[in-house]
Amino acid sequence: MNVSQALRQGTAQDAVDGLVPPVVALPESPEELAKILAAASLDRQQTVLRGGATKLEWGRLADRVDLVIGTEKLDRLIAHRYSDMTATVQAGMPLAALNRQLAEHGQYLPVESAFAGATIGGIIATNDAGPMRHRFGTPRDSLIGVTLAMTDGRLVKAGGTVVKNVAGYDLGKLVSGSHGTLAAVVDATFKLLPIPLGSTTLVATYADGKALAHDAAVIHASQVELTSFDISVSARGGRWILLMRMASSAAAMDAQTAEARRLLSSAPTRASGDDEHVIWDEQVRAPWSEGGTVVRFSWLPAKLPAVASLIEGLRAHGCRVETFTGRIMGAGLLRLDGEEPALAAAVGELRRSTSVGHVVLLRGTRRLKELVDAWGPPTGANEVARVLKRKFDPQGILNAGRGPI
Amino acid sequence: MDQRLVDKFTRAVGAEAVLTDPVQLVTYECDALPHLRSLPELVLLPRSAADVQAIVRVCDSEGVPFVARGHGTGLSGGALPVPGGVVISLAKLNRVLEVDIPNQRVIVEPGVTNLEITKQVAPFGYYYAPDPSSQQVCSLGGNVAENSGGAHCLKYGFTVHHILAVEAVLPNGDLVEIGSPLADSPGPDVLGLLVGSEGTLAVVTKAVVRILRKPQSVQTLLAAFDTISEAGEAVSRIISAGIVPAAVEMMDAVAIEAAEAAVHPNFPPADTILIVELDGPSSEVAELFGIVESTCRQSGATRVEVAQDEAQRARIWKGRKAAFAAMGRISPNYYVQDGVVPRTKLPEVLGRIRQLGEREGLRIGNVFHAGDGNLHPLICYDERIEGQSALAERVAGEILIYCVEAGGSITGEHGVGADKKEFMPKMFSEESLEAMQAVRDAIDPKRLCNPGKVLPTPRLCGEVPGPYREHPVERSGLGERF
Repeated sequence: MNVSQALRQGTAQDAVDGLVPPVVALPESPEELAKILAAASLDRQQTVLRGGATKLEWGRLADRVDLVIGTEKLDRLIAHRYSDMTATVQAGMPLAALNRQLAEHGQYLPVESAFAGATIGGIIATNDAGPMRHRFGTPRDSLIGVTLAMTDGRLVKAGGTVVKNVAGYDLGKLVSGSHGTLAAVVDATFKLLPIPLGSTTLVATYADGKALAHDAAVIHASQVELTSFDISVSARGGRWILLMRMASSAAAMDAQTAEARRLLSSAPTRASGDDEHVIWDEQVRAPWSEGGTVVRFSWLPAKLPAVASLIEGLRAHGCRVETFTGRIMGAGLLRLDGEEPALAAAVGELRRSTSVGHVVLLRGTRRLKELVDAWGPPTGANEVARVLKRKFDPQGILNAGRGPI
Repeated sequence: MDQRLVDKFTRAVGAEAVLTDPVQLVTYECDALPHLRSLPELVLLPRSAADVQAIVRVCDSEGVPFVARGHGTGLSGGALPVPGGVVISLAKLNRVLEVDIPNQRVIVEPGVTNLEITKQVAPFGYYYAPDPSSQQVCSLGGNVAENSGGAHCLKYGFTVHHILAVEAVLPNGDLVEIGSPLADSPGPDVLGLLVGSEGTLAVVTKAVVRILRKPQSVQTLLAAFDTISEAGEAVSRIISAGIVPAAVEMMDAVAIEAAEAAVHPNFPPADTILIVELDGPSSEVAELFGIVESTCRQSGATRVEVAQDEAQRARIWKGRKAAFAAMGRISPNYYVQDGVVPRTKLPEVLGRIRQLGEREGLRIGNVFHAGDGNLHPLICYDERIEGQSALAERVAGEILIYCVEAGGSITGEHGVGADKKEFMPKMFSEESLEAMQAVRDAIDPKRLCNPGKVLPTPRLCGEVPGPYREHPVERSGLGERF
């Protein structure tokens, strides 16, 4: 195997945090990827793993980037076992392409991304999820097996291809959310779902967050079963919007809609087909559709009224809340605009608040990331994660300094 | 155990939390896999996380191996005591600390039983989803260790999908919170690693679990078939129609006979029975249930019984959940196996199991979660007949090979424990096992936390990789390979 064929010089397009890597590797096989990682480790090359490069700006700023390893040539659907409702896919395959292929057999992976080019590897590494997490969880909840390339050049498997399996340690879960700091995902196996018979979305509008929070709590405690349950506010619209998606047969959706209407204080509109598709597409993309700072945070569902007040209060710091989109189960994204000191003050305010937690600065200017730590204070699991990192990446080459550990 | 060590543990947790009387220790010599036994030298009964921490600190400083134990219902010897070690029973950490209905979560200590969580929240219209058959007695801590499933995990997932955070004592004695009651805790999913690690990475002292709103409607049917392949066909057709049932269970003639003998669920005579349960909004369940019923008939069901009320539903489930214990009615001894195959391979693998039973002269009953391909062959034998225990064990092992050959797993929910660790190399390469060992060594460098479980016995010291060669230690008769 001649690894040098997989290497090329980095260009401006490959820059990470403005740093152009001298070398970019585009391995064509798992073995090649592992071999490149081993060589990088031996030479202590600061390495950034790259899927679709859609979330590469997340995290802390890089001090140095010696090597970018891209997975774009590892982009195959290895197997779609449609009768068993599982699929094994290489890390570089875009999520959208995967779901297009799965749809040929009426199935899908219930994960959404705001980014057209987002790959399976990047989705696992960030554990980034969209509105459907309300019902189906984050990517880690659908992941049943994984192949990893380790920095010592070995290819390692964990889990398997069956939906139920407790043999061995679940290394797939471990690398979920690791932001490329432990190993490279080479391929992944997911359990899949049948595409539902139908889908419809109710949209209710409120003058303020408190009124929305009241209705959200009522629906949350009811037996209306939603696949997505979201909140959306934009500076332009000014109104607080509750989005409720149900997926089932026509008769069942009608009955559920009637039940939801009975419970809501604000009469919802109902969207299906293309209109519904547009609503959710915009909801997923809203935080990222324009420039600006993007902050992720979470809360306990019952804290939503306090979260609404907190967001409204951020203006006092001199920054503008462009959009707030989130999941009623307690996860959201804020897009903010303003001068860096004001934005830093807003992040500080969120971090001090007892109503929210895990405040992470995903996207921000270099200056802002110099002012506030992107990840915030370490979690309890960090101690464990760091000892694992030392074992998996003893030279500390993987996303060094940029990732959460 | 050395009196100095006993004194040290006694100083750490108090005399009343230390068991040394051999009569009392016998209770802890095995879990629900009784053929693996080892009398512990000392059992400790902590009453708080601080007690657990104090115990683990003594273990760490003195190099004493420890095994955490819930209520001892595990089926893979995961709580098997270790020679020279202590057992930490978490039975007394059994408080429900917080029931938070608005946020749909409950905080419990590890000794709380699985069913207790549902009992606490049922008055509010909620339940805890993972439902292993032992749910009346098994502990939540044990569920976390084993990543327990149950009949309803096809739709609702396993323990790992329902645990939001744990407080745990690491092998070095540190008390840490892993995961978070809030979503999106940044960093690697250490909680996902810990759940299902079979007590080899930490001792859980508290867990935050997610509870679910009770579905509006639950409908259950029982269908009788003349052949297992017809029943399997019905399952395939139901799932390919886009229906995700809450549960799909199958029992074969041997298991039916046993259940009838034990709890009289009044199952119809059949070669195979299929239990299908749907839950969700009433309108959806009513519509889809009609499809399930007609699919069963079209696939050749000789009889379909729809549970008309909660009592009838409970009767069907009683027959199913009692099936393991019921084997005792038709066989002096039995061995419960747990393996997984891709759902589409069920008929093929069940055929091989049937042939194996005939060839070896042992009756094998099958009870399984058909929706996710999780088999539970029940191998009947009589230990009084010389060689039958060993034969049953060998047959059980052979079944695991069939599962792996079909692309499945050596365990779907009972865990690897002490029982199946030597089968791990059938499923994972040496590199993969070494990576798992590296995880373990990073967190438990002294190898004190439930040693001898999950991962195969390390190669004998001094052995080099490659084809089998007799090691000098083996040659001298001082050691042997499993």
